[in-house]
This record gives sequence, structure tokens and C-alpha cells, in this order.
Amino acid sequence: MTRRLPLFLTIGIWVLLLLAPLALDDWRISQLAQFLTYGLFALSLAFIWGQAGILCFGQAIFFGIGAYLMALITLGKLPLLGESQWTGIILGAVGGGVGAFGLALFMLGGRGLSGAHLAIVTLCAAVVAEVAAQRWDFIGGFNGLLGVPPLVAPYTRDDMFLSSNETYFLVLAIVMAVYLLLLLISRSSFGTLLAAIRSNENRTRYFGFDVTVAKLFAFSLAGMISGLAGALFTAQFGFVSPPLVGFGLSTEVLIWVAVGGREVLLAAFVGAIFVRWVENLLSDKLGQYWLLAMGLMFIFVVILAPRGLFGRILNLSKSR
Amino acid sequence: MELVLTIGLDALSFVLTLLLVTLGLVIVYGMMNVINMAHGELFLLGAYTLVAAQSAGLPFWAGVLLAMLVVGLAGLLIEELVIRHVYGRPIDTILATWGLSIAIKQLIIIVFGPAAISLTNPLPGSVSVLGIDYPAYRLVIMAVSAFLAATVYLVLFRTSIGLQIRSVIANRGMAGSLGVNTRLMDRGTFAVGAALAGIAGAVMAPIMSVDPQMGVGFLIPAFLAVLVGGLNSLLGAVIGAGIIGGASTTLSSGMAQATAQICVFVIAIVVIRLFPNGLSKGFR
Repeated sequence: MTRRLPLFLTIGIWVLLLLAPLALDDWRISQLAQFLTYGLFALSLAFIWGQAGILCFGQAIFFGIGAYLMALITLGKLPLLGESQWTGIILGAVGGGVGAFGLALFMLGGRGLSGAHLAIVTLCAAVVAEVAAQRWDFIGGFNGLLGVPPLVAPYTRDDMFLSSNETYFLVLAIVMAVYLLLLLISRSSFGTLLAAIRSNENRTRYFGFDVTVAKLFAFSLAGMISGLAGALFTAQFGFVSPPLVGFGLSTEVLIWVAVGGREVLLAAFVGAIFVRWVENLLSDKLGQYWLLAMGLMFIFVVILAPRGLFGRILNLSKSR
Repeated sequence: MELVLTIGLDALSFVLTLLLVTLGLVIVYGMMNVINMAHGELFLLGAYTLVAAQSAGLPFWAGVLLAMLVVGLAGLLIEELVIRHVYGRPIDTILATWGLSIAIKQLIIIVFGPAAISLTNPLPGSVSVLGIDYPAYRLVIMAVSAFLAATVYLVLFRTSIGLQIRSVIANRGMAGSLGVNTRLMDRGTFAVGAALAGIAGAVMAPIMSVDPQMGVGFLIPAFLAVLVGGLNSLLGAVIGAGIIGGASTTLSSGMAQATAQICVFVIAIVVIRLFPNGLSKGFR
């Protein structure tokens, strides 16, 4: 029974998410749909950090690229590419992936960076990206871009926005598909290669595997998913601003993933939703003390439960 | 010519203060393999200790001493409560100290409020240096920083305590079996590293606007200085602080501060990419 528990819990969480619209009102459902995009963002970081062992302090760069591309396209600022939201979503994902590929190529090619060096360099890259976004007037400078339209129904009723429930299900479907894809990858032979890189990079290299290409691919895929999350987030949130690209959001997502459990994809996903939900619940009551409590909670989790709050109970692979 | 001299002096004073923050980071990393993301908040704590001391009516220098003591003690406490538990897990030290930095920053916001505070300059007026008028207080900062940095080097390379510290950095197990109390050394170096950041924060406070974000503003340049110079190398700290501090002062005299900042970051990232072991290793 206990051996099967993670599987039952995993299925249970998805069933709960599917049934959520029955129990929650419109406002809460649209909140939850936003949290799902944060969860998607956390999935991307969990993939690159938990599976491949690359600690990236700048994951929000790719989230921000996706968010800005979505806003630019739906606001008609890139007339050559049309104004369709689907173009925005696809381009957001592609943009995030290309950005991640570029950064990874710079960092990982040849005698690449790793560990603390990579963490600090990505952190600086996030600061640079945020300042650049603040100073680039075409994308709105300090104020960002306002009035991004919500998601439009792709079928018959043309020009009608999706209701909260429809938006929720659309986002949930995309998130589920990405989750299954990442799960499949992490259980494939490529996933085993990533795990080998995570536990001993040099040894894997001496066995003849091309470590650099594998890491490049994993990093770009994670960037793509971050970009997708950013694009979906923007369509719901309605505007983009420089903090979405920056250092603050990058470290926040790191906290969600660490609190949830970096080694298990679903744990990181649940971690993001859990932290955001607790924040919503408590930030009114605790006010300024919320961030203090969050910092302390984070320290406790890192020291006492390095595998995260949900890492153990949601771990699908056989424990060694 | 005058402009060049002023920029040179500005750069020198920034480099020396940055060196104080960087030294703490390098020693702590070399000693314990701990990447201390909360180091910027120790700087912040130093600045706010001075604010508190000034509003309690203490004279300026007493405030700086108090900052050194308070932040040093905070360092001891942090080592005991947090750092000790994550030794040997380098990535987790980044995360745990990151949580710590959030908590300390928020605590300061709760106590002192989020708004920027400006302090009165304890030594207004200027002194004539090589024919230009230069603010006297900046010269004091340079003297204090240079003195402290020199003291750290003398202690590390000319005393038996320094020898013990360097032996722990070189080979912890061997040093321990030869009778060096490594635990005591860990505590001591962490506290001293913290105290250095605290002093840097206190002496810089009168010429900066003191606000809860100023810690991050120093942390990232200090980290870049460490990586550019080379982890684990005291000479590297000097080289790194010199390059980062010098470049950001020189560039920000010619362009907007934010643009200068990102230029320095980009330069530093490229240098780190090309010389992952730091520039100091190239000179050996």
C-alpha cells in the first residue's frame, strides 16, 4: 500500500484539480488558473534543477520573454506576426526556448560553468535583463505594457472571451500535457542520462556521453516551458512589467520549488501552488510579517527537509 | 585632469569598501565552502545599527564600533543556528542563506520602515588633495578600509592564528588532526567576515541613502568581484574588487547609473566565462 501511495496521491491531485471548478467560485477559479501558470513555471525549474542538477537563478528571464512576447503580439506591436493569441503563446514558448538556448550556449559551451559560478552568472543575467526591460521604451519601459486581452474562444463564438472556468480548463490541459511530457522525458533513457549528469558529471562524460549537448537541450526545454508559462500568465493577468523578467521572481520560483521538493516534478508544482495559496491566505493577516515567516520557513525546509515538503510522498520512482 | 583625479579617488574609495565586503565572502567560502547570500544583509545590518545608534544620540565612531560588534555577534548566531547545519552541502548553503537574507531584510523593514533614511555626514567639508578639493569623509572611509584590509592580511599571513586559518582552508582534515580547533576557526572567521561587512555598511551609510535594498546592491558586485578575482584566493579578492569597483565608478561617471551597472555586470559575466578560475590564477 505505502509503495503505491505516491501514485495514488499523484492521480488524486490531478483529479482534485479537474474537479476544482465544482467547489470554487469564479474569482477563486481565476486565481487558481493563475497559480497553475506559476506551477508550470515551477515545473520548468524543477526539470532543469532537480533532474539535470543545474541551479539557475535566472529562470524568470525566460518567463519574462514569454510574457513580453505575448503582450507585444496581442497588442499588435509586432504587426508582421499578426495579433493572434495562439501566435503569442507559441512564440512565447519559442522565445523562451531561444533565450535559454542562447544563454546556455554562452555558459555551457566548451569548458563550461557549473555550480556556484552558474548560479551567480544567471543571477546577474536576471538583473541585467530586468534593468534592460526598464530602459527599453518599445516594451513600455518602467511601466510595462497594459491592457493585454484575456484568452479568446478558439471556436465558433468569435470575439468572445473565455469564461473563468473555460480559461481554467484550457490552462489545466496545457499544464497536464507539459507535466506528462516532462515525466516521460525524465523516465526515458535521456532522463537517466540527465540523472547521471546530476550525480557525477565528469564520470558521465568519461563514459562517452555528450554532456554539453544534453544540458543544452534540457536548459532550452526548460526555457521553452517557462516562456509558455509566461505567455499564459500574461493573458490572465492583463499586463506585463519589468519585475516579471527579474531577479525577484527568479528567486521566488526557486523558493517554491525548494519548498515543494526539487527532485520530484509534481512536488515542485504543488509547492508553487501551496506557497502562493498560503501567501494569499496569510499575507492579509500577517502583513509585513509574511515575508519574514516565508524566509524562516525556507531556511527550515532547506535545513530539515532538503527533499522538500512533498518530495517524499509524491516520488513515483522506486526509492533506492 | 581634475575630473580624472576625482574619478580615480571615487573609484579608490569604492574599491576599498567593496574589498571589505568581498574579503568576508572569500574567507568564508575558502574556509567552509559556504556561499553566503546573506552577506549583503550583514552590510545592511551594519548601516542600520549606525542609524539606531545615531538616533539614540551616540557619537558617530561609537556607532561604527557598535555596528562591528552587533554584526559580528549576528554572524556568530547565524553560524550556530543556520550555517552549521548545511556544511558540506554547498548548493543548500546558497538556499539557506538566501532565506536568511529575506528574513533579515524583512525584519529591518518591520523595525525601521521601508523608506530611505539619510544620515548627516559626520565630517563635512573638504580637503585639498593634489590640487583638487575632495570630501574629507571619503578620505576617512578610504583610510579605514585600507587599514582593516591590511590588518586582515597581516593577521592571515603573519600570525599563528592566521596560519591555523590558512591550514584549515588548505586541508581541513589534516589541520584538525594536527590539533587545530577547526570548529572554533569556523565560528571565528564567520564572525569576523560578518563584522567586516558590518563596518563597511556603517562607514558607507552617511554617503549612501540607507534603505532596505542597499544590501543587494553591494552583494552582487561583491560576488562578481570574488568570481572575477578567483574563489579561494585573497589576492583574487583585491584584483576582483579593483576591477568591479573601478569599472563601475568610471563607467557611471560617463553614463546613467543603471546603464553603467548592467555594463559592469555584462563585462564581469564575460570575464567569469573566459576565466572560470578567476584572473588571479592566470597570474600564477
